Amino acid sequence: MQFFGGSDISPSPPAPTASGNNAHMMYVFNRNGVCLLYREWNRPLHTLNAQQDHKLMFGLLFSLKSLTAKMDPTSFENHEMCSLDKGNLGVPQLPGQGCSFHSFRTNTYKLSFMETPSGLKIILITHPKTGDLRESLKYIYNLYVEYVVKNPIYTPGAPIRCELFNTSLDQYVRSIS
Amino acid sequence: MAAIYSLYIINKSGGLIFYKDYGSAGRMDTNDSLRVASLWHSMHAISQQLSPTVGCLGIELLEADTFDLHCFQSLTGGYLNPFIYLFIYKHTRYWFFLPSTGTKLFVVCEPGTQHMEGLLKVIYELYTDYVLKNPFYEMEMPIRCELFDINLSQAIQKDRVALLGR
Amino acid sequence: MIGVGKIKQYANVLETPLSKGKQEVSLSAFAFLFSELVQYNQTQVDNIAELERRLEDAGYSVGARILELLCHRDKGNRRETRLLGILSFVHSTVWKVLFGKVADSLEKGTEHEDEYMISEKELLVNRFISIPKDMGTFNCGAFVAGIVRGVLDSAGFPAVVTAHFVPMEGQQRPRTTILIKFAEEVLRREARLG
Repeated sequence: MQFFGGSDISPSPPAPTASGNNAHMMYVFNRNGVCLLYREWNRPLHTLNAQQDHKLMFGLLFSLKSLTAKMDPTSFENHEMCSLDKGNLGVPQLPGQGCSFHSFRTNTYKLSFMETPSGLKIILITHPKTGDLRESLKYIYNLYVEYVVKNPIYTPGAPIRCELFNTSLDQYVRSIS
Repeated sequence: MAAIYSLYIINKSGGLIFYKDYGSAGRMDTNDSLRVASLWHSMHAISQQLSPTVGCLGIELLEADTFDLHCFQSLTGGYLNPFIYLFIYKHTRYWFFLPSTGTKLFVVCEPGTQHMEGLLKVIYELYTDYVLKNPFYEMEMPIRCELFDINLSQAIQKDRVALLGR
Repeated sequence: MIGVGKIKQYANVLETPLSKGKQEVSLSAFAFLFSELVQYNQTQVDNIAELERRLEDAGYSVGARILELLCHRDKGNRRETRLLGILSFVHSTVWKVLFGKVADSLEKGTEHEDEYMISEKELLVNRFISIPKDMGTFNCGAFVAGIVRGVLDSAGFPAVVTAHFVPMEGQQRPRTTILIKFAEEVLRREARLG
């Protein structure tokens, strides 16, 4: 049995901001694991409060990345170079280092993942039947560069609160099939 | 040509009970394979908790840069369905999440390899036949059954031939 | 009454004969039951010879009962009195009832006059069983050996029956041979009968 701390926050779902599309929610993390953005379009189930949820999500991505790096069946593991090549489980991998992953699928959702060279992680959770979203994530990254990075008021590393980014994101996500 | 890189079977508490590598460059030693198995077990459980809707049974397919990982979870042992429950203690709400945990088997294969679900089902059938019906097999313990090995390599071989023919 | 058709019509449902039922038993059900039998006996013994003996004993009572049943059903309450007769009875009739097929072969031992062998490429009870390396030459066919001993003994042919793995050329798996060694008195009687 797993125990996930106490909370007095009601888990009842807030009204979805947009409905009738395939996307459930989106996370953006920076390289230190700070959640810069969390958007939710359709999420009936909440098992944790927001903070714990983000922590768990980041932990899952971190561990899966170290798992895929370790499991990479195409690169030969040189024992002397072991720590440099494939890393040990649980040791952080630099962005772009080792074998990473771009999506996983369960019976209820599909998670698409992208990591930029600066260590920014973009996670989009959609209906399990959605196709390859690598291009869509690149487009979202593009939106981020356009509306967040180029925004003079935005301090890097702070949670994203840019109206323009949010509206264009909502609009784009609705078009994902 | 190796379409299938390796096969793992994990018991319901996350212990690795079977590991076979089909000649990939990334062959792992015992310790690493055990660690990978228990990490996968917990990742599988966490993925259920992060689901936006109810009834999530964990990761079925993981698409990495150089391989695909297909996972099949049987409904034997452990909890069959994930469920969430709540109890209140001293005016604080506590939420419990019980992920579904069964025997899991997963294959690591080339990206885009098709029909892996079918192969996993065949392997699971072999497991029920030659492992579970063997009086000398102790539940949840590492699998050391000659007949399972023989039939497994036949099944993998057959799958490879079928892949080449496609 | 004039027949309505080829199939006899029964006016009353109570007159319809009972169906013969399914003649086959699920292999899985049997495999699990047999697996439990072996596991239970394993908890009761501290060495392999003892386990083999217990499985044989379990088979013995099956064999004794099967002889009664088959003599009544197939032979009109008569039983074989000659050595070759009873052996082919075991090899074909008994095997058919137990495993749905005739045994693969029945041979006479080359070294000893009193030895006969029934061989099976893949014995049904061993279908799903892999013997761990530390158990050496143990064979779960001891149960079948017990059945054979039960049949022979009850028919008046006391014998020592054992099961062995025999490696086969060109085969990945060894076959199982049931070795039958008849008691001296049986052979003496056989010689007298000529």
